[in-house]
Amino acid sequence: MGANISQLERDIGSEQFPCNEHYFGLVNFGNTCYSNSVLQALYFCKPFRDKVLEYKAKNKRTKETLLTCLADLFHSIATQKKKVGSIAPKKFIARLRKEKEEFDNYMQQDAHEFLNFLINHISEIILAERQQNSVTNNIKSKAAGENGTSHAPPEPTWVHEIFQGILTSETRCLNCENVSSKDEDFFDLQVDIEQNTSITHCLRCFSNTETLCSDNKFKCDNCSSYQEAQKRMRVKKLPMILALHLKRFKYMEQYNRHIKVSHRVVFPLELRLFNTSDDALNPDRLYDLVAVVIHCGSGPNRGHYISIVKSHGFWLLFDDDQVDKIDASTIEDFYGLTADTQKSSETGYILFYQSRESL
Amino acid sequence: MANLKPGSQNTRKKVQVSMVICEAEEKRHRSGVNALQLDPVLDRLYSAGRDSIIRVYEHERFLHGMEHHTDWVNDIVLCCGGRHLISASSDTTVKVWNAHKGFCMSTLRTHKDYVKALAYAKDREQVASAGLDKSIYLWDINTLMALTASNNTVTTSSLIGSKESIYSLAMNPSGSIIVSGSTEKALRLWDPRTCAKLFKLKGHADNVKALVVSRDGTLCLSGSSDGSIKLWNLGNQRNILTIRVHTDSVWALLATESFSHVISGGRDKKIIMTDLKNTANSVVVCVEEAPILKMCFTADQQAVWVSTSDSSIRCWKLPTEKHFKDEAKMPSTPVSLIPGGAAIRQAVVLNDKRHILTKDAQENVAVYDVLRARQVEDLGQINFQEELKNRFKMVYVPNWFNVDLKTGFMLTVHLGQDEVDCFAAWVSARDAGIRDTPEPDHKVNYGKLLLQALFEHWRGVRNGSRKQVALQRSQTHSAYFKIDGFSEVGGRTLYRVLVGDTSGDTENALLNETVPNWVISNIEENCTNKFIKVQFYLQPHSSVPTHLLKQDRLKKPDRLVANDFIQCRKVAEHILEKLLGDGTASSPGGGDADSSTPSNNGYNVDQIELTCNEQVLDPSMDLRTVKHFIWKSSSDLTLYYKIINK
Repeated sequence: MGANISQLERDIGSEQFPCNEHYFGLVNFGNTCYSNSVLQALYFCKPFRDKVLEYKAKNKRTKETLLTCLADLFHSIATQKKKVGSIAPKKFIARLRKEKEEFDNYMQQDAHEFLNFLINHISEIILAERQQNSVTNNIKSKAAGENGTSHAPPEPTWVHEIFQGILTSETRCLNCENVSSKDEDFFDLQVDIEQNTSITHCLRCFSNTETLCSDNKFKCDNCSSYQEAQKRMRVKKLPMILALHLKRFKYMEQYNRHIKVSHRVVFPLELRLFNTSDDALNPDRLYDLVAVVIHCGSGPNRGHYISIVKSHGFWLLFDDDQVDKIDASTIEDFYGLTADTQKSSETGYILFYQSRESL
Repeated sequence: MANLKPGSQNTRKKVQVSMVICEAEEKRHRSGVNALQLDPVLDRLYSAGRDSIIRVYEHERFLHGMEHHTDWVNDIVLCCGGRHLISASSDTTVKVWNAHKGFCMSTLRTHKDYVKALAYAKDREQVASAGLDKSIYLWDINTLMALTASNNTVTTSSLIGSKESIYSLAMNPSGSIIVSGSTEKALRLWDPRTCAKLFKLKGHADNVKALVVSRDGTLCLSGSSDGSIKLWNLGNQRNILTIRVHTDSVWALLATESFSHVISGGRDKKIIMTDLKNTANSVVVCVEEAPILKMCFTADQQAVWVSTSDSSIRCWKLPTEKHFKDEAKMPSTPVSLIPGGAAIRQAVVLNDKRHILTKDAQENVAVYDVLRARQVEDLGQINFQEELKNRFKMVYVPNWFNVDLKTGFMLTVHLGQDEVDCFAAWVSARDAGIRDTPEPDHKVNYGKLLLQALFEHWRGVRNGSRKQVALQRSQTHSAYFKIDGFSEVGGRTLYRVLVGDTSGDTENALLNETVPNWVISNIEENCTNKFIKVQFYLQPHSSVPTHLLKQDRLKKPDRLVANDFIQCRKVAEHILEKLLGDGTASSPGGGDADSSTPSNNGYNVDQIELTCNEQVLDPSMDLRTVKHFIWKSSSDLTLYYKIINK
């Protein structure tokens, strides 16, 4: 084991090894790679890591939540004496299994489902804690006769500040041609993929116009009736960290199960969004790829998850407790397969892009 | 073609009953007018639109209405020298009418989605229909005229190749060419004589909503949602002219007989006449109050009738040479006007699930009674939200119908889709305002009452029912409400009939085929009542002395089941009778209880106070109201009771 660890240090070079940085693998507790891969990716999303560690510092002794477990895990990685090694996220996994029934087993889980659950759950914990604080504050300040504090819309949490973007859907009735638009928040974009394309192309398709017709007509308020309409979704607010989920698991009726789509989809190191709305707040944001969760194998309930992350200018591959330095050119290996002959593949599944101004 | 979709009873789709509430005679359009046609011989104007009625006017005077569609009429054409009219509707049908007498001769159900546009080849008496199902069908009018009840199959040719919804269609009088406009942003052309696909013309950047073809079939004008008008040479398949005079979508086009000028109208509410020889030469004919939907020439071709998404139809003088040379100003008022009525824009079903508060386009607020199928109050221009608040009653009656405003003026009432939905509302006859009931606490069902009234003439069934008292006023005006159709839920209309006509032979037979079984079995006089149940628990309040309770306080109470319209007073009676025992008998011998509190016989119902979620309940409140407004949860209701001193 010792030789292995020093191998990574040797690869990086002791001079180049960034100070205050730790590269620790996470021990697999039986099919927990879906969690390990996402946690590593999140750990190397710097704004997220910083906020989690800040939370750890501020919240000295509260009752155990998934967030305190995550904070403890991040804290213990960040405060290791050694620079490299591996750590067992035992408490976190135990808590996760308590929080959500679906994860309470030893089966392979979907990494995106896990990410989605984790981000939503953390923001709920923060909101709940904040509300609790405001209730105690309110009781204190009630004597002063204050009111009107309760109805203000909830202020975004730091999770929102990092991951939340806004999609706007514009619907044009084809009869009266009025346009109505509706905004919705997102923590990640779920993108359909096509063979031999790029993520930019897939995002453009994501915003292609869809016609609501036949049994799926649009109820137009102006026409007081169902009419055909054209709808498209565009990004109105670009998040600080843009998480893109490539929809690689397609339900196939003939097999009655999900099948992996190994299409080759190029994801560039730098990304700009072209599917932004006309009133977008920050349409020119330039994103850099910081982490990728990779699915290896042939189906959603089999196979393995690993992640690659960018740290201080070089790329690392985390495979559970193993950590290796890799060449940036190896990223190409995870784009996908140009032909559908092979069933198994190692493909980018969740991409984390960080906006350059926040780096 | 059969008038009914065969086998509709056997398909898995549910059949829905709808009715329309309107005046016996609706002289005015109550919403946007989609289509206009002029009979130059009789000088009659035919207009049709969103309120589903085709109306005939002679010199601005209403002659008659033609009612049979159940949704927007999108286009009409007059044919056979004005004797017949063909109409296309969002109810997915094409109908053939006797224009002079105003009755519907046959219904063509070939389209599978809204029929949006018609085209007419006068010389061949051929009509084409097209719509959102991407199909174009060609109809030979003489064949359509030969249709009878027994011989009702029509063969039609279809023009294939369209990839998207069709919004416009045009043919030349000789029927040598047909053009369609669609969301494909292109024009497609066929030869209707051979049904051969000819070619496609690309150039517009959006939906094509208006088309005109020249008499000889060599030129075509197209109006698009991209705001432009294009002139096409069909011979060499080239776009020869693009006219940009509008600031928004072009929805209506007319061309002069010689194709020298185009008259266009659209979303910018303007009608503009443009010289095709020199497009810089254009004159604004008028500015309407709403987006322009259709235009047609007057008999002398010196003016145009204009319809908009408003209900009024106006006639505007067309510019002459003088106006084009800027030597004279266009008049700012129309030559004549056919005023429209106000569409109902908002309708809210009140809590009693019987009355509907409505607001029309002119801010007039009115109250409709669904059971009487008519307007019962006209409140004038008052604040709708305020009135809604004033009329709020804390009463909960389950939904048994919903309201649709698609036809703009008439309230279309869709009854619940099955037994459970439609017969959910049981109310006491007293609350329903029905006197003369067998017993004071008699319960009536709204859905059943209405269905019985709708079908009372059918099969000679069920008259003399006392339950119909509430409806008698409307029976004398059967035109007030008609069965607007049986339709597959969210689907096509299967059949529609006036309530007064249901006893006719043909109607009778058709009703036998269409009326769903759940309706028939429930309008029978002797059908059993299936009341809606509510489940609940009764818990003693902590103040109730333990010795009064028949059951141990700590034991989980039994789950009770009652009809949802049972009032709290009844529950209190139950508590008095069943749950409170003889204080002295069951008491373990507490000192303070025996002399001051006699046995439960000493209490009366008024001394039982029921609470739910810490709110005291009025004895006249029924359980479903408690559950809906106070318990506010779908879980089983829990009520607490205590004894108060009165």
